[in-house]
Amino acid sequence: MKTRIKEFRARYNLTQEDLARKVGVRRETIVFLEKGKYNPSLKLAYDVAQVLNTTIDELFIFNE
Amino acid sequence: MKEKLSVILGVGISVCVFFTLAFYLMAKDSIELFDIVSIFIILILVISSSYIIWDRLKNLKVGLPVQDERLKLVGYKAGYIAFIAAIWSAVGSNMGSIILFDQELRGGLVTAAVVLISGIVFMVSYLYYFKKGN
Repeated sequence: MKTRIKEFRARYNLTQEDLARKVGVRRETIVFLEKGKYNPSLKLAYDVAQVLNTTIDELFIFNE
Repeated sequence: MKEKLSVILGVGISVCVFFTLAFYLMAKDSIELFDIVSIFIILILVISSSYIIWDRLKNLKVGLPVQDERLKLVGYKAGYIAFIAAIWSAVGSNMGSIILFDQELRGGLVTAAVVLISGIVFMVSYLYYFKKGN
């Protein structure tokens, strides 16, 4: 699964650590999310989308 | 507070295990192959748990949680694998001893094998998933 977290993070000038702090996870989790190596829970996906002022649909790209 | 307590507890247990090992070695007259294998496994467990504690301390210092949903999942996966390893080592250690040395293991040694093997399998699989991501 690809994500646009890095792109949105850059838009709001947030570091990985800032985003991690805002959603209450470890920085490594954000790193793995950005690399598409971790599938988040619905709650975490929602929290990240909320912090980045977007929707889950726009943030995560699901490949068929 | 709970997170700090878990880190302090982890440091305490690691130090206790390390000193117990040191006292055991000092009290022993001769060290046999079984001791060397046990010490090697215990050292791996202490070193890997120290690494995990150090990583948690690093996160605690910058105000990030020491455990999140990803690490909880990693713990569940590693625990499942360690459970399977514990079951198989209970059977396999005795069977291996009969095949290799033609003698049965004493009950205490089987328990030691189960604890050490499942412990090391837990640590290895935990660190693997810890670095892998999903």
